[in-house]
Amino acid sequence: MNVVEAVDLRRTYKTTTGTIRRRSLEVEAVRGISFAIAEGELFGLLGPNGAGKTTTIKMLITLLIPTSGEARVLGHDVVEDARWVRERIGYVFGGDRGLYERLSAMDNLRYFAELYGVEPKGQRARIDELLELVGLKGREKERVEGYSRGMRQRLHIARGLLHDPPVVFLDEPTIGVDPVGARELRATIASLTASGKTVLLTTHYMFEADALCDRIAVIANGEIVAQGTPQELKAGVADGSVVEVEVFGVEERSVERLRQLAGVRAVTVEDQEQKQLLIVQTAPGLELTHAILSQLDGASVGRVSSREPTLEDAYVALVTAA
Amino acid sequence: MSNTAPESRVPRGVRGGAGAWLRRAGGAAGQGRVGVRVFFVGGLISYRALFGWLSPWVFIPSLLVAPVFQILLFVYIGRSAALESDEFYVIGNGLQYASIPCVFAMTNIIAGERFQQTLGSILITPAPRLPLFVGRALPVVLNGFFVAAFGLVVGGLIVGIDVPASAYGPLALVTAVSALSCTGLGLLSAGLGLIVRETAVLSNVIFGILLVCTGANVPLDALPGWLSTAAQGLPFTHGIEAARLLADGAAFGEVARLVGSEGLIGIVYATAGYLLIRVLELHSRKHATLERA
Repeated sequence: MNVVEAVDLRRTYKTTTGTIRRRSLEVEAVRGISFAIAEGELFGLLGPNGAGKTTTIKMLITLLIPTSGEARVLGHDVVEDARWVRERIGYVFGGDRGLYERLSAMDNLRYFAELYGVEPKGQRARIDELLELVGLKGREKERVEGYSRGMRQRLHIARGLLHDPPVVFLDEPTIGVDPVGARELRATIASLTASGKTVLLTTHYMFEADALCDRIAVIANGEIVAQGTPQELKAGVADGSVVEVEVFGVEERSVERLRQLAGVRAVTVEDQEQKQLLIVQTAPGLELTHAILSQLDGASVGRVSSREPTLEDAYVALVTAA
Repeated sequence: MSNTAPESRVPRGVRGGAGAWLRRAGGAAGQGRVGVRVFFVGGLISYRALFGWLSPWVFIPSLLVAPVFQILLFVYIGRSAALESDEFYVIGNGLQYASIPCVFAMTNIIAGERFQQTLGSILITPAPRLPLFVGRALPVVLNGFFVAAFGLVVGGLIVGIDVPASAYGPLALVTAVSALSCTGLGLLSAGLGLIVRETAVLSNVIFGILLVCTGANVPLDALPGWLSTAAQGLPFTHGIEAARLLADGAAFGEVARLVGSEGLIGIVYATAGYLLIRVLELHSRKHATLERA
């Protein structure tokens, strides 16, 4: 049974610019995406900033009405049966927003327990259970304004689970969280599907999606450009290879020349303090190391290596091609 | 089902089956109980969450000391210019100052959701909207009543006005109704606060209008005719008139109509405010307007 379904979902925003001469602009944030999530599945929605991930989630959690298309949760339309859907979904924000700073964690949870109609007699026990789950037991009486980002994120998860929803939407839940905290959060996320919940997760971190998700949809410019298991997505670029080159002071025109090289599928540049790491994905059966190095005139070259493609490489190739 | 999940054990917090903790008390009665708790418990918690003046360091100077200064200012202006009696200014300003907690607090605890970026979190809950938004008004009314009563008592004691003991109870009722009426206007301001960015500017403008146009300091018959007529639709206008009559020895029956009008005006504003908030919520789902803080 499909628990979450999106059918040709579209969402357009109208914005205006200028004070006197006002101009109206139309932005297509989501352009006809379709996917389905089965019961107990952990489905990842991957994409760069502005790709349409959060807009898609907002439509699924009833916060936005689609411009066209349909979205259903547990078989119910998110527009027609918004309240029914709201009772059965949990939404976990990423980042600092969405919590009452002046209240303690306990009061934040008490408030939302009331809004979700959690039985008063069981509220305290439920909140204690969740505080223990997310590791905030003992800190629950402190005001949220004094919480670290990781603690806030864990509080978000506790809030999203207050009413024990069968479907949970997690919007970049580990963003900005330190590695140890992020690892604990991932363990909690994994436990959600182990308990039978259906989860939609958006994330920027490929290793996170690789480790957690049963299936992934890659979204770019408001469209799904690939969908499948992490293994299937990796297989899409597995026939090529990746050349990594450490460079100092590489110029944009050199990177652009690299992109034009025959056999090069994608080029990304990662800034690493004083140096940059060029990640060049190449087609299979080609040895392009010398050709790549010859394009880097003027830049000092450090370590050069070749490796097998990862899910991140698959993601970069898909997003770059979109 | 996760393919390579780091851990797949099920901790206590996520065990329990789908929606096991959701209140399932069926039908309208169950929903009614949820609504009552959202109104009272939710209203109080959100008041504490979003009204930043509850610290004694802010509350005492802003809501207890400042109204006494305002009363004294107008009393001494009135005396030096030989205009109205001390009682006129004590009652007018004592009641009118309730607009600070009523308008500012009401606006903050609804429009503040947008600026704290918590609005989305509450809008995706299934909580019934009437108690969710209107329940926040109850602590505001109580706070407004307390501030006005404090100003009236302390201002009256300092200046030395005589009010018959039989008027204490009716005066308290008029004060409560006036606070309720102004909170209604605050709810409308809260709705507008979801549209405009500068809610403090809006609240200050409302405070100024109430200071000048409700008869608190300027007798209504001294205002231009159109303004005097418009003042009949403002909170406090009827409440202040009723309080002055009570302080002068009128029986409650003689001012009941004024008190009723005061309460009715508050209900009209509150209804308009609630409807505006609901319209904006629906508009936001279509146009994502409330997301743009």
